[in-house]
Amino acid sequence: MEKSFHPFTFWAIFSALAIAVVASDSALVAGIALGGATLLVYLFAQEGPWSKSFEWSLVAGAYLLLIRSITGIIIGVPRPGTTVFEVPRIHLPEWLPGIRIGGPVTLERLISSLHEGFIIATVIALFGAANSVTSPHKLLRVLPSRIYQLSVTLIIATSVFPQLIQSIKRIRDAQFIRSGKRPRIYRIALPLLEESLGRAVNLAESMESRGYGQSKVQSRYRPIKYQPRDLIYIVGGVFSAIAMVAM
Amino acid sequence: MITFSRVSLIYPHSTTTVIEDLSFEIQEGELVLVMGHTGSGKSSLLRLINGLVPHHTGGILGGEIIVDGKSTRTTRPGELAGIVGIVGQNPISTFVTDIVEDELAFGMESLNFPEDVMRKRIEEVLDQVGLSALRNRAIATLSGGEQQRLAIASALVMHPKVLLLDEPTSALDPIASEEILAILHRLVHDLSVTVILAEHRLERVIGYVDRILLIDGDGRSTIGVPSEILKKSNLVPPIVKLSRALNIDDIGTSTREVRRATEGLRNTLEDYQRPSFDRGELLLEINSLSASYDSKDALRNFDAVLARGEITALMGRNGAGKSTLIRTIIGLHKEVRGDIYFAGRKILEIDQRLRSRRIGYIPQEPGDLLYLTTVREECLRADRDNDVKAGATLQFLHTLLPHISPESHPRELSEGQRLALVLSIVMSGKPELLILDEPTRGLDYEAKILLMRELHRLAREKGTSVLMATHDVEIVAEVADRTIFLADGEKVADGNTVEVLLASPAFAPQVAKVMSPRRWLTVGDVLGAVENTNS
Repeated sequence: MEKSFHPFTFWAIFSALAIAVVASDSALVAGIALGGATLLVYLFAQEGPWSKSFEWSLVAGAYLLLIRSITGIIIGVPRPGTTVFEVPRIHLPEWLPGIRIGGPVTLERLISSLHEGFIIATVIALFGAANSVTSPHKLLRVLPSRIYQLSVTLIIATSVFPQLIQSIKRIRDAQFIRSGKRPRIYRIALPLLEESLGRAVNLAESMESRGYGQSKVQSRYRPIKYQPRDLIYIVGGVFSAIAMVAM
Repeated sequence: MITFSRVSLIYPHSTTTVIEDLSFEIQEGELVLVMGHTGSGKSSLLRLINGLVPHHTGGILGGEIIVDGKSTRTTRPGELAGIVGIVGQNPISTFVTDIVEDELAFGMESLNFPEDVMRKRIEEVLDQVGLSALRNRAIATLSGGEQQRLAIASALVMHPKVLLLDEPTSALDPIASEEILAILHRLVHDLSVTVILAEHRLERVIGYVDRILLIDGDGRSTIGVPSEILKKSNLVPPIVKLSRALNIDDIGTSTREVRRATEGLRNTLEDYQRPSFDRGELLLEINSLSASYDSKDALRNFDAVLARGEITALMGRNGAGKSTLIRTIIGLHKEVRGDIYFAGRKILEIDQRLRSRRIGYIPQEPGDLLYLTTVREECLRADRDNDVKAGATLQFLHTLLPHISPESHPRELSEGQRLALVLSIVMSGKPELLILDEPTRGLDYEAKILLMRELHRLAREKGTSVLMATHDVEIVAEVADRTIFLADGEKVADGNTVEVLLASPAFAPQVAKVMSPRRWLTVGDVLGAVENTNS
């Protein structure tokens, strides 16, 4: 069996990158971080239901970018600059000064909303990437049980998200056969919500009935240790993050 | 070991009690079966014993439950981890780690067991359930039976005094289910573990249980030895139905007992053969179909034909290729070689929308198809999708379930009701072929009878062909005209259901085991023979 990375390694790298992206607030940094993340996921994605998290977070990020740009075009505070095109303006009552729906869209405003959207999308994608390369179950094994409530929440969130992706595929297939066309998202949403809640509850119950959090100290069966390789990657990740902010 | 005194349970936001005034005592080393309709509160009862109800679910608990001297009212499930082990209905969603050995260690790590104790216990339990060879495997790659054994092992590794299992065999093929029951039998007899299990497939478990706890729909319940409970219950396995039909007073629960009681009959009854199905026009022809799944061969050179109005059962162990075959026919799986002809046309050339209309499909989780908020809306949607008169689907549903309220939410329905709703929706398109994947999972006998009647009616009166993948030998024996057996991607048997089922002892239904060497599969067959003899 090939030695895998310590579960914290990639979370550390991707958290550092996410912080760098937010702190530098630069599309270039975000682009570089995204490229790096893609490379790491390509190299280290594991076999498992969670390995598709990155792809899906990219899709989610793209939607977000789209929504952010549309709202940015329609609603917002006026910003002077070169007008690109004009959207019919809706007049609001006078007691709502400063807010504007429609009107001229300037290049500056377009760029700033695209920029903001891209930053958020990148942070989401980085979270997805960390999920892609780390088994959520392994992550649980290294979290101290002293932070019981927090770890339970974290584990359920991280392990239900990848399972969701599997369920989406199954439900979409079933709906596709029912109607013969690709189902719309709302057709999938309800069965999916039910199932993911059910799974989350099942997992929490299973952990509780097996005594998780009972003992302040936990023993370790075949403990997961940091390998030199882990440290190299973490240091590399953090340094690149710092370099990006300094740029 | 377990004492219930005057226990009642009511969930929040609910007006009906799940369990009412229930008192019983279970001794050490007993194997108790909890029996009841779907939704009668079997799962709640199991979860009351380790305190998940009400600590985890909310709800008001009346009375007192004492497990090994501890009251569940004041003890949280976690504190009972070393005393009570629980195995849920769907093991895959309860696993916390990825690797078999890590999963076994999880509970012990939480209770801070020293490493040498963990090692010893893990070795021991791996042998007990026969998973030693798979110790380093990723859990996701295990078969259903192996996952179920792992779930049992992770409970056993804590050396519990009580083991609770919720439908441990319902997702398994007959062979895997026998293995699970053999493990439970050993635990009870060698280690005096108290085992309590809820199960719908009585025919599988009835031979092993010491006592039955029967929960009626209205919260009342009775506990007693199987022969006593089964005399009065309306949920009974085929073997008891046989005794009742033949007016045998002593209700036996094992094949051996009933064989003794029917020895005379077996020798004296005239011959009887169920009417065989006359094949007319063929609907589906599959010619040397090979399919790969995840770059593995899932099907090799598979040939089969389905006639109009014929009911075909598709059987075989988990992973034998049943799902791949179904997914190929409905058009979800495309990595195939070979040809499938549907009503004379190549199936791949039929437009997907038309194909969806002509081939109805009910997935393993029927709920996947539902997304609206009331039964009425779902039915109206189906009417529109299939261009039928508004109200037709609901009307069809009412023939199946006369008492269902059109305003109820599809998520609140029991499994049987949900299946009936999905069946109505799928049938509203009047498909020529109906495909069902594991339809009897989680169904009680009444819901199963309803399903069997409806399938039979659709096939015989409407000429719908039915293809059903299932592990449920009893429903195959009752309704299937033909049975196809798959093993490791290849067809190993294809023929008349009677011939195929009797050829393999593990897949023989209960009545066949009792009546062997006579060739009868169901109570109906035996009664047919009785009639032949009397006339």
